[in-house]
Amino acid sequence: MAMELEYDRSLYGIEHKAGPFEISNETIDRANSSTGEAGAAFLSDEGAIAAGYKGRIAPPTLCCILVRQVALPDVKVKFGKTSMHAGQRVEPKAPVYADDQLTASSHLKDVYAKTGRSGTMVFVVWETTFSNQNGEVVAEVQESFARRE
Amino acid sequence: MPYYDEVELGDEIGPVEKVATDDEVSNFCDVWGTPGPNRFTDAETAAKSGMKGGPIVPGIMTMAMMAQLLTDWGGPGSIKDLDLVFRQPVPHNRALTLAATITDLREEDGESLVECDILMTGTEGERYVGGKAIVTLQSR
Repeated sequence: MAMELEYDRSLYGIEHKAGPFEISNETIDRANSSTGEAGAAFLSDEGAIAAGYKGRIAPPTLCCILVRQVALPDVKVKFGKTSMHAGQRVEPKAPVYADDQLTASSHLKDVYAKTGRSGTMVFVVWETTFSNQNGEVVAEVQESFARRE
Repeated sequence: MPYYDEVELGDEIGPVEKVATDDEVSNFCDVWGTPGPNRFTDAETAAKSGMKGGPIVPGIMTMAMMAQLLTDWGGPGSIKDLDLVFRQPVPHNRALTLAATITDLREEDGESLVECDILMTGTEGERYVGGKAIVTLQSR
């Protein structure tokens, strides 16, 4: 029988907006240096142009770094005591260029329980769409947080 | 970078060995907007959070490392989808092995897609991060 979960269902359908996030060369430099990124298109205009872009681009997981800056409400799941980052998904849709301004829009996608060998866990999934200054969607990001018994 | 018709089911991407040092994690947390001390940068805070092996590498940082494996192979704009599960805490300053195995090849909506299972493991066989990725390659 499916577990009846208690949480704030009124959060469904609400979009939580954040930004604009200025994607400067310094932002990309710092993201690159902290992860050892050395791909030429992520390092300079020259490297990006050689790869067919109009200028320097950000690495594909930059929006996953930015997503943490979106203020999200407590889902008030009545289950477990500790929460952990269980997973992350990114679907890049268009290049993010240095000097772009991104905005984010997040909504609660799902809350569900799963039972395995180590017991039951409850997952809270948020979905965030990042768009650039032209309204073009550049990435979809999903974050999943798990609560343990 | 390989062309689509050069790859086959079962081909491996990598393996590549990486290490996330204390300094890199600290730098990443600054960029990420979670400056220390926290369970990623401070041993005491990590212990209070139940991390017996010391501070851990943020999941999103491991994701960036996995993405590098794919973009180094397929090109800077090759990732269509990267979907990861953070299976267990990833320690600092330890050798991490990243590899992917091609599980499907298909042409869809004019794109040549390569699907793969991707995994980050430790020296004792720990399966730290795993998941699936879809990469697009050029056709000749």
